[in-house]
Amino acid sequence: MDKAVSQKTIADNVSVEKKKTNFFDYSLLFIVLFVTGFGLVMMYSASGYTAQNRLSDALYFFKRQALFAAIGVLVMLVTSFFNYHNYGKLVMLFYAIAVALTILTFVIGQASHGSARWIAIAGIRFQPSELVKIAVILAVAVQVTHYGARLKTFKQEASVFLWGLFPAVIIAKTNLSTAIIIMGITFFMLFIGTRNYRGFLFLGILGVLAYIFAFPFARFISAVGLLHDYQLRRIFAWKNPMDYPDDTFQTLQGLYAIGSGGIFGKGLGQSVQKFLMPEAQNDMIFTIICEELGLFGAISLILIYGFLIYRLFDIARNASDLFGSMLTAGIMIHISLQVILNIAVASNAIPNTGVTLPFVSYGGTSLLLLMFEMGIALNVSRCTHLS
Amino acid sequence: MTASRNTDKKKKPGEKILISYMQTKLAVTVSVMMLALIALVGVLVHIVRTNSDQYNKIVLSQRQASYDSRTIPFRRGDIMDRNGTVLATSEKVYNLILDPYVINSGTDGRFVEATIKALSEYFHYSDTELRELIKDKAGKSYIKYEKALSYDEKNGFETYEKEQNTAYQKAGSKERIRGVWFEDEYKRTYPYGSLACNVIGFSSQDGTSGTGGIEQYYNDTLTGTNGREYGYLDSDTNLQSVLKEPTNGESIVSTINTNIQKRTEQYLMDWQTKDVGSKSAAAVVMDPKTGEVLAMASTNQFDLNDPRKLDPSIYPDAVLTELGRKEAVGVYHREHPDEPAITEDDVTKYYTEDEIKSYGQQVAWNQIWRNIPVSDTYEPGSTAKTITMAGALEERAITPQTTFNCQGYIELSDGIHTWKIRCHNHNGDGIIDAKTALLRSCNVYLMNTAFQLGSDKFVKYQHLFGLGEKTGIDLPAEADTSDLVYTADKLGKTTLATNSFGQNFNVTMIQMAAAYASIINGGSYYKPHVVKQILDENGTVISDVRPELLRTTVSKETSDFLRDALYATVEEGTGKKAKIEGYHVGGKTGTAEKLPRSAKNYLVSFMGFVPVEDPQLLVYVIVDTPNLEGEAQATASFAIKIERAIMNDAVQLLNIPSQGETNPEDSINAGFTKNPEGISKETMGTGVTPSSEGETSDADTSNADTSGTTATETDAEGNPVPVTTQEGETVPSTAWAETDEAIGADGGEAYPDAMPEESTSEASTNTETG
Repeated sequence: MDKAVSQKTIADNVSVEKKKTNFFDYSLLFIVLFVTGFGLVMMYSASGYTAQNRLSDALYFFKRQALFAAIGVLVMLVTSFFNYHNYGKLVMLFYAIAVALTILTFVIGQASHGSARWIAIAGIRFQPSELVKIAVILAVAVQVTHYGARLKTFKQEASVFLWGLFPAVIIAKTNLSTAIIIMGITFFMLFIGTRNYRGFLFLGILGVLAYIFAFPFARFISAVGLLHDYQLRRIFAWKNPMDYPDDTFQTLQGLYAIGSGGIFGKGLGQSVQKFLMPEAQNDMIFTIICEELGLFGAISLILIYGFLIYRLFDIARNASDLFGSMLTAGIMIHISLQVILNIAVASNAIPNTGVTLPFVSYGGTSLLLLMFEMGIALNVSRCTHLS
Repeated sequence: MTASRNTDKKKKPGEKILISYMQTKLAVTVSVMMLALIALVGVLVHIVRTNSDQYNKIVLSQRQASYDSRTIPFRRGDIMDRNGTVLATSEKVYNLILDPYVINSGTDGRFVEATIKALSEYFHYSDTELRELIKDKAGKSYIKYEKALSYDEKNGFETYEKEQNTAYQKAGSKERIRGVWFEDEYKRTYPYGSLACNVIGFSSQDGTSGTGGIEQYYNDTLTGTNGREYGYLDSDTNLQSVLKEPTNGESIVSTINTNIQKRTEQYLMDWQTKDVGSKSAAAVVMDPKTGEVLAMASTNQFDLNDPRKLDPSIYPDAVLTELGRKEAVGVYHREHPDEPAITEDDVTKYYTEDEIKSYGQQVAWNQIWRNIPVSDTYEPGSTAKTITMAGALEERAITPQTTFNCQGYIELSDGIHTWKIRCHNHNGDGIIDAKTALLRSCNVYLMNTAFQLGSDKFVKYQHLFGLGEKTGIDLPAEADTSDLVYTADKLGKTTLATNSFGQNFNVTMIQMAAAYASIINGGSYYKPHVVKQILDENGTVISDVRPELLRTTVSKETSDFLRDALYATVEEGTGKKAKIEGYHVGGKTGTAEKLPRSAKNYLVSFMGFVPVEDPQLLVYVIVDTPNLEGEAQATASFAIKIERAIMNDAVQLLNIPSQGETNPEDSINAGFTKNPEGISKETMGTGVTPSSEGETSDADTSNADTSGTTATETDAEGNPVPVTTQEGETVPSTAWAETDEAIGADGGEAYPDAMPEESTSEASTNTETG
């Protein structure tokens, strides 16, 4: 069913006067529209109370997000007609601008929630770090495509890896979670692009071990007096949120929300925790979904994300060239990582870090750029010819 | 469906299709992602399975805590005068609540300093005190630090707090102001302070109860019910929040006219402070056609906004202690009924100094809060003659033409003793008719009238006029005078004689005013009242208090005759000083000798009304024990002066049309221009001459014997049997049943001291002669 058939009058770039039909992934389009619509509903439910209280307009966040969603859909559709190969030519410019803006953030950045991540250009506020994610996807895709099958030596790998590492280091200072995602995207894209297994396997195992032993190790360091408790607070608070209620207020309230939602939830709009949780419409919106729609709703949403990821995987697999594949794979990795990290934070599977839930969390920049990425993926699918 | 090709000129041609190892790796990547998602589903399932109940409870308790069944106070209704002037109102105020738990909750104490700084800067609180409080009560979440802040103060601080917090954030500081919030409350205020204090009364801090006046009598109307905000679990264990709005109290429109009330109080206080002064003085202004009280005041005045403040010049500690000792004796007796009573000297053994002083304070408060016109009883004196005559006329015991010969006294004999009760005119008034008798206030005529009427009917008419009955006025603590008048079978001839001119029985001012109102309005006895309307919180009328006609007292003919006679009393009789140029004023004087008779203390009074043809205004003033020695007190002109001043202003304030040319001197506006305080000077201080002429000296020009001592009916001193000391004077213990005998035993006192029965302490102090 996902092999819908599109008309032949596609963009001139794909000027193939074959009788063969071109592929266009309507499933992906549909999922994106569905998740965005669902996100708007949940976002409204989560933010209505706060908006009413603070801004005396329950629809404030909803209206803004809906506006961005509408623009985003437009952006997605337009992008889907824009041949992705052009990005290959524009990548250097795009990358330079994104990194420059990020650096600019340090100078003229506007603080929101503690650290300066925003900059305003012509009155529009946005987060350059979101832009960097796409720039890195593009850049790494270009690099991997450049080396192609020859990519296997450590030196080559390192040269590709630097494209992601460089901006990540810059961003890490103000926005650790975004830096982690950028590193994650680079890591997985490189993994796909290179022949090498061992190094990645090694790193992977190292990551898993770090995850498992972070807490015992932290306790050990603290016990031998190498570091003080407060320096490792994040890790301690993660494992025992109840003991650090000041640091883990959000996490705890999120857990309460998930737990109290039960299997079928309290019903749409019935969340109680949204009254307590600051900015429930942002990073912690998944917990509100759990509370209102229960485990059932949460798993349904995860399945939808799973299907979205699968569709991207399918496009990447079948892309007409390596660049298209790598691009789509990067996008897929980006979305997967955000979904996983967001839900992991919400369920306290990892220490708290601010990651938004794609298409659902409140945030204009993020939504617009996600739509842009979907547009790219759709264009890759469009360039896929059915044989 | 593998992709086939790419026609575009790409930078890196060559690799058309995804290389196979890449395919695998892509699949691996997706698998990792999917596995991670599945693992997360597992985590979620785990959370729900293991912690669902516990977390649910926590969520509910947090939610519950955030509601914490907050009480929303109701607003006590306003009290307004008849024109809508607000006399008592409740304004919203704010209590400053500190939450040390929250203040201390910030990491590294980041809320503490900022909060203390803000509070001390904005409200100028002592920061050391705050610091200690926040430290000592660290676990508490509710400390009422300051009460009754205004909206501006509350709002100002909240704005300040917001600004400061924004500034901290901008500066990158982690400090914040936290844990300060405001709680709503209502505060009762009385915009006019002491105005109509006895009629209005005052309410408790929380607005749930009233003390005195309308606040007490109409407490149920004025109070509402508190609202509440709380959460509860419905049948699906969903938390429902419920806001139960408070029901605000209803407002009351009283019959009081603020302007008249103001002037009434002013003239009473002028008398008290700038003139001779007296133990006390009181006035009632009434609409005789409806029984509505337009003003009610006495020299007992206190600030409703601070009702417990005692004037240290009147109640120094010594006086309080003295009062407290007396009270303590009573308290001890009540608490230990079986033990022998203690004496005042002993009280210090049983009570501490502070306790005694606090008892004294309570006594003092009750004294200043006492509403004299309703709660105090006294012998009315000659003003009661009109009532005696009204009954006699109704019963045709006499007619207006009936004449009696006044020889200056009347002799009564019970077979053993002979009594000689004098008229104030010792030479006698000669043969006079009813009207002359009233205008000269002839005791002999009235005694004869009472004899014609007989005891049964005399008593019947007393009760018909509400004497010995409660008027039912809508104010608390109305005195019960049922034991302070005689019953017919106990009313001997001697007491009938003295009762006829208003002594040896007790009345309240409101009884007298209501009785007179019925006499002059054509016979309709209306229940006196001080409340006109009840409004809901939006000002919509809920109920109108209609004048309540209780009974008919006299016929129109009697009413017409008595009005005419009382007009004559003012025009040419004892009440001449009450005349107001241009108005037809009627009225009756009263001078009563108080118990003990030997003390020669007097209560003088005047009952005036205007206009005679169609009375619209009734003013009754009593002056209890003017600050003069003995006989010099006995002139009703003290009361007339006050009455005239009140009436003169009231007719103008009420725009009662004059019957003739008025004197510009009497205009309240004239008074204003001359004296910005509005005190018309002519009303005060003219009649008090050192010789203390009685009312009769002016009024009864024909009365040869107008010595300074004569009051209209004060015969006491002129009695033929001047017993210097009367054993019968220990009045309170003397039951009225013995009274007739006692008179005999007393060896011929003109009229007995004994009252029917003294049930209240106040009654005992106010008894006097007619």
